[in-house]
Amino acid sequence: MSRRGMLSQCANGFGAVALAALHADPAFSSDSVPRTTPVQAGHGPHHKVRAKNIIFLYMDGGPSQVDTFDPKPLLDKYNGKDPGDLFKVEPTQFNNNGNLLASPWKFKQHGDSGIPVSELFPHVSQCVDELAVIRSMTSGFPEHTFANYFLHTGSALQGRPSMGAWVNYGLGSECQNLPGFVVLNGGLIPPGGLDCFGSGFLPASYQGSIFKPSGTGVANIKPHKTTPEDQRAKLDLINELDGFAEAQFGKHDSIESAIKNYELAYSMQIAVPQVMSISDEPQHIQKLYGLESEYEPTRIYAAQCLIARRMVEQGVRFIELTCPNVGHDRWDQHKNLKQGHEDNARAVDQPIAALLQDLRQRGMLDETLVVWAGEFGRTPFAQGANGRDHNQYGFTVWMAGGGVKPGIVYGATDEFGYRAIKNRLEMHDLHATMLHLLGVDHTRSTFRFSGRDMRLTDVHGHVVEDIVS
Amino acid sequence: MVIPDMRLSLTLFLIHGFLCAAGTSTQAKEQSSLVKHLEFFERDVRPLLVTHCYECHSTHAKRVEANLLLDSRASHLRGGDSGAAIVPGDASSSLLIEALHYDSYEMPPKGKLSDEDIQTLVHWIEIGAPWPDEPAPVAHSTQDDFDLEKRKTDFWVWQPMAASDLPTVQNIEWLNNDIDLFTLSQLEQAHIKPSRDAERTAVLRRLYFDLIGLPPTADEVKAFIQNKNPQATERVVDQLLESPHFGERWGRHWLDVVRYAESRGHEFDNDTPNAFQYRDYVIRALNADIPYDQFVREHIAGDLLPNPRLHPKDKFNESILGTGFWFLGEWVHSPVDIRKDEADRFDNMIDVFSKTFLGVTVACARCHDHKYDAISTADYYSLSGFLQSSDYRQIRFESMEHNRQVAIQLADIDSTYKQQIDGLLEKRGILAPATAPKLTDDCILFNYSDLPQDSFLQDGFIFGLSPQRAGEPYLDSATGHLKISTFGAAVNDPLWNGLESITEGAFQNQSVLTKIPKSGRTLRSPTFELINGEVHCLVDGTGHIIACVDSHRLVAGPLHKQTVVRFKDGQRWVRLNLDRYVGHRLHLEFIPESNQEIAVRMAVQGLSESALATFEKRINENDHQYEEYAKIAEAILNNDTQNNSTQTETDLSTRDIISSWKGEREQLASHIVRTSRLALSMMDGTGEDDRILIRGDSAKPGQIEPRHFLTAISGDKPLPIKKGSGRLQLAELVNDPTNPLTSRVIVNRIWHHLMGRGIVPTTDDFGFLGKRPTHPRLLDHLATRFLQEGRSIKSMIKYIVLSRTYQMSSHANQREKELDPSNLLWHHYPPRRLQGEAIRDSLLTLSGHLDTTAFGPPVPIHLTSFMNGRGRPKKSGSLDGDGRRSIYISVRRNFLSPFMLAFDTPTPFSSMGRRNVSNVPAQPLILLNDPLVVELADDWSKQAAKNITGTGFDAASKRIEWMYLSAFSRYPTKQETATSLAFLSSKAADSKSFDFDDTYWSELAHALVNTKEFIFLR
Repeated sequence: MSRRGMLSQCANGFGAVALAALHADPAFSSDSVPRTTPVQAGHGPHHKVRAKNIIFLYMDGGPSQVDTFDPKPLLDKYNGKDPGDLFKVEPTQFNNNGNLLASPWKFKQHGDSGIPVSELFPHVSQCVDELAVIRSMTSGFPEHTFANYFLHTGSALQGRPSMGAWVNYGLGSECQNLPGFVVLNGGLIPPGGLDCFGSGFLPASYQGSIFKPSGTGVANIKPHKTTPEDQRAKLDLINELDGFAEAQFGKHDSIESAIKNYELAYSMQIAVPQVMSISDEPQHIQKLYGLESEYEPTRIYAAQCLIARRMVEQGVRFIELTCPNVGHDRWDQHKNLKQGHEDNARAVDQPIAALLQDLRQRGMLDETLVVWAGEFGRTPFAQGANGRDHNQYGFTVWMAGGGVKPGIVYGATDEFGYRAIKNRLEMHDLHATMLHLLGVDHTRSTFRFSGRDMRLTDVHGHVVEDIVS
Repeated sequence: MVIPDMRLSLTLFLIHGFLCAAGTSTQAKEQSSLVKHLEFFERDVRPLLVTHCYECHSTHAKRVEANLLLDSRASHLRGGDSGAAIVPGDASSSLLIEALHYDSYEMPPKGKLSDEDIQTLVHWIEIGAPWPDEPAPVAHSTQDDFDLEKRKTDFWVWQPMAASDLPTVQNIEWLNNDIDLFTLSQLEQAHIKPSRDAERTAVLRRLYFDLIGLPPTADEVKAFIQNKNPQATERVVDQLLESPHFGERWGRHWLDVVRYAESRGHEFDNDTPNAFQYRDYVIRALNADIPYDQFVREHIAGDLLPNPRLHPKDKFNESILGTGFWFLGEWVHSPVDIRKDEADRFDNMIDVFSKTFLGVTVACARCHDHKYDAISTADYYSLSGFLQSSDYRQIRFESMEHNRQVAIQLADIDSTYKQQIDGLLEKRGILAPATAPKLTDDCILFNYSDLPQDSFLQDGFIFGLSPQRAGEPYLDSATGHLKISTFGAAVNDPLWNGLESITEGAFQNQSVLTKIPKSGRTLRSPTFELINGEVHCLVDGTGHIIACVDSHRLVAGPLHKQTVVRFKDGQRWVRLNLDRYVGHRLHLEFIPESNQEIAVRMAVQGLSESALATFEKRINENDHQYEEYAKIAEAILNNDTQNNSTQTETDLSTRDIISSWKGEREQLASHIVRTSRLALSMMDGTGEDDRILIRGDSAKPGQIEPRHFLTAISGDKPLPIKKGSGRLQLAELVNDPTNPLTSRVIVNRIWHHLMGRGIVPTTDDFGFLGKRPTHPRLLDHLATRFLQEGRSIKSMIKYIVLSRTYQMSSHANQREKELDPSNLLWHHYPPRRLQGEAIRDSLLTLSGHLDTTAFGPPVPIHLTSFMNGRGRPKKSGSLDGDGRRSIYISVRRNFLSPFMLAFDTPTPFSSMGRRNVSNVPAQPLILLNDPLVVELADDWSKQAAKNITGTGFDAASKRIEWMYLSAFSRYPTKQETATSLAFLSSKAADSKSFDFDDTYWSELAHALVNTKEFIFLR
């Protein structure tokens, strides 16, 4: 069979091949595969699809809400006062709580919507009319790792499937020669490690593939010590020898799927370098994203954002971007808030704005959901003299594009920006809403494991209808 | 809380009733106020409830949260999981108001109500929570009530095992052993024919991989083909079962079930030091084929066995190493909510325990009674009590059994001589004071002068077998003089100085605790609840105190520094500021500095400086009489020994006693084994029952649930536990032959590994949501036989692999495929993909790189540039893992091998008795492009060249044949040889001479390991 023929036979891409194998393998009883037996990979959509792809801009370490998208004038008024006199202060991780700390940055209203953004984001503020700013997100956990697992998998425990895995499990991949869940690693791997991107109890085919935004991108994509011609010859030999397999095994789908898998791997070897070659982009696009920036972390994040757009064009379902290393720390400013947040913002601001503009001008933003979120926010009071500790009680995330109401603010924290008090949301709500926009009912996308029908949203989660356009 | 509520509301109704009956003007007034109240309710209160609460707390809610309804007055009073929602007339005591203020709960979750709205509800409660007389809304559906007995009766797994008669079959020729009766009878009933026998070489390959996880060599394959003895297969089976590699193969299966890892994961991926000792224990235990009940017992309570199993050669305590399995989970370095962290750790331990041994999901009952199985929340917390009563330590497993004997002898010697001294003094008319008045102050957390022997706990033996009593003679280590103790205390005996504990295989540990020499040198206080954070300990000497809060002890993070305090000689009262942990359960640990002596007397809580001074005075008064006694006694004793001029009878004895006491002690000291390696282990703490946590919330403790085993198996009567945790009793219940789970679960695991699918396919879940057994009678047959034949895992394996069922061909007939497409009845033997470990180990074997060294510290993982993150090991291991088998490669939770992950080695977080078998492009990408695979394949081609030298057609064909024999355990077909030769020739400049360049052979070798036959068993 020709390669083309094979590819067209497994047009459903990665997930499909994997599932085909699972079905055929009698070692797999039906509880290891989706309960709604899929004709092809995935079992959604359940309703109207608003977004086809997600780009998840993960802000590692927890950006401060009161310094970015949630201005609190009272912090100026009470700057330096003991927060304990004004509200109940919960234990924090370091418990070295100082006085209320005014934001070192000024806020200004932007766009037609007039949504205030701090001067940390001079570029993103120009796109504010695209954003739905959610100021009432909460997390259950004040430690990075718990909170990261919670943000990524809906559970604070290690080893659960990541949202990218769930999305691909629910919908399958539209991409024939790239994985459906890609993590573009800018340099920082979040606390909790690669398990933030794992497939947990879901089949390994849903695992996030870690790409670097430079070079070959992904591990083992480049043939080792061989030429393309030699490799092709070797693959042909493998194919020919595998043709004798039936004589040894009898006819089994599991073997046939494993054989087909080689063609996919081969096509991936070609597709990955293609999607990675951002130097093919016109000069003005490269410039727009910040590839010419003098600040290296900006250039790294620019490459990530640009590759993300190119992957969306190829049909990659879920792309997560982790932050570049700005030299000292992630967004986790227990001290030196000013420099830390400035450097982190500088790395991501221009590339994010460019991504939004570029998606818009290509008409892709309507079908691409962009989510900006950290694992928690930061305290409105200081840690030590000039830092802020973790705060899971209320912080800001934003969404843009695919089915989201543009230019709105949803929810609110109290007057100090400490606790969400209006339209308080949980991570599960964020997940439910993301799935909803993709056309997936979060209560129906289940997988049986350990005696339960597991969900990304566990037994929780409500779709935030108010931000759906 | 319920009773006062009822009373209040009753009062309200009674008043109404009385007023109505009275029929006076007061009544009218009262009625008009009632009307007003009801108007207020309808206008202001009900709309608030409807808008903000009823989505989750009404009979019409999609799902009622926390079992709380708020749509009738009665339901407000009845409340939910956390008790009554309102106390009519008392808003400040009403949980509802607390929740609205976001004090305990935060309700409504979507945002706090305005102050005005909250005030409305406060007012409503203050005026008695008026509600119109209306029929209570009827729930549209209620969930089935949890009825444990009914569920038990209704479900197969709780039923006793049926030792039924063997089934009958027609085709008796087909049978190898009784297993075949069960499979064949079901096939015959379905009119399905079993497939033909597998080729002998296919069986051989299966056996090698199934039993030892390695391929047979080309020579072994050839010898087997030539051996026509009908017993040949059985011989191979016996030989493989005796192979030291058996334990490595089956040990890896077991490690999947106990979520084995060598680091803690989480933020910094800290070490789980010495975890590999557990891994090695498992391998040895499986190789030794210890009876499964012993294996289970050692896992659950190996530290408590009166006669632990000793290593046959090195004589160390094997049994205790089994308990390491409890502690292989994730640990958090610095949880903000420690109690919740403990509850999560216990959850994982219970989860793994119950899935591993019992095949049921007890952890599903943490927050509510099991949704489907006969397991109650009470069952969950009764098991949690066993863990609450147990502790973690790094055990000196090599020295402990030997030193235990030394400690007993030492206590014996000391007691003999002490009696002699006492007798001697008595003769002189010097009597120890009558017991001092016991201190009974509430502030005392524990006091070693009158601690019950049961509560005297330590890791090791250095504190003797009991605390020192006041007035007891002892040999002063510094001067060698006889002294009399003036207070009761736990004192470590300097005879034990110089203990050295060896930790291996650790490289990522930020814990301050690792530097404290704890192992074998720790005094552990009873567990207590902290009521006041001001804690003082009365101690002597130099050492450390560690407060172990809710059994948390990693102490690597920014928190909990207060829990570790160093104290110095002469400090006397050591203060711990534990304000943060008031309301928590904790215990203290006391560790002398290396080669230092400490005396631990007591700990108190809640004493201010002045109160402490007063308290101290009373202690001093108590001590005083002993000091007086000691002064007199010591004077006499030491005078006797020093004064040589007066040779009295006493004099001689005193001196003799001292020198002979010293002599015996020194003699014994030379027997102490001072150096030992460490391993993870459990130890008993204070025996206590746990509280049921309402909805699993550690902040909401409910009633105490006594320790017992699963109700459905042995009832819920509290176990009669005399001392400590009671884990040994738990182990006996797990092992009890009448327990229908344990044997079924283990034989099913064995079947699963040999046949590719369990009789119950869901190996870790035999419950309602799991799969039903395809061959229930076979399952019980195997389980019963297992019990009868001494619970030998090896015998069970042998029994299964010698069945004809196991030895069937993987070819299925079209008709059979249509009748039973999922092969549920086993009409053929399904091809199985090898695990990642077996693939890597085969490649190592072929290449000649395999280093068969067994055991020892993990080989560092090879780090690729894609493996990043906090806790990344500083040094990468070598590409080929030093040629060691995959089970010896380090398992760091945050840095798992990409090779293994791609081939479905599970992430270690819970029991995984059945791995996924996925088919992802990462697999071919690894086999095609990973430098390790390319290089091992290249070395394999060199091995081939070494074994079959020469050039020309015959030599080349022979070499291909050798490669097929070593990679696939069979001869190539003519076609296959021709294809390979054609490939080689196509590359060669001169194809006629059949003299091919090494690189072409290398390419061929690489192609062969990329064929499916290399990674599948036929």
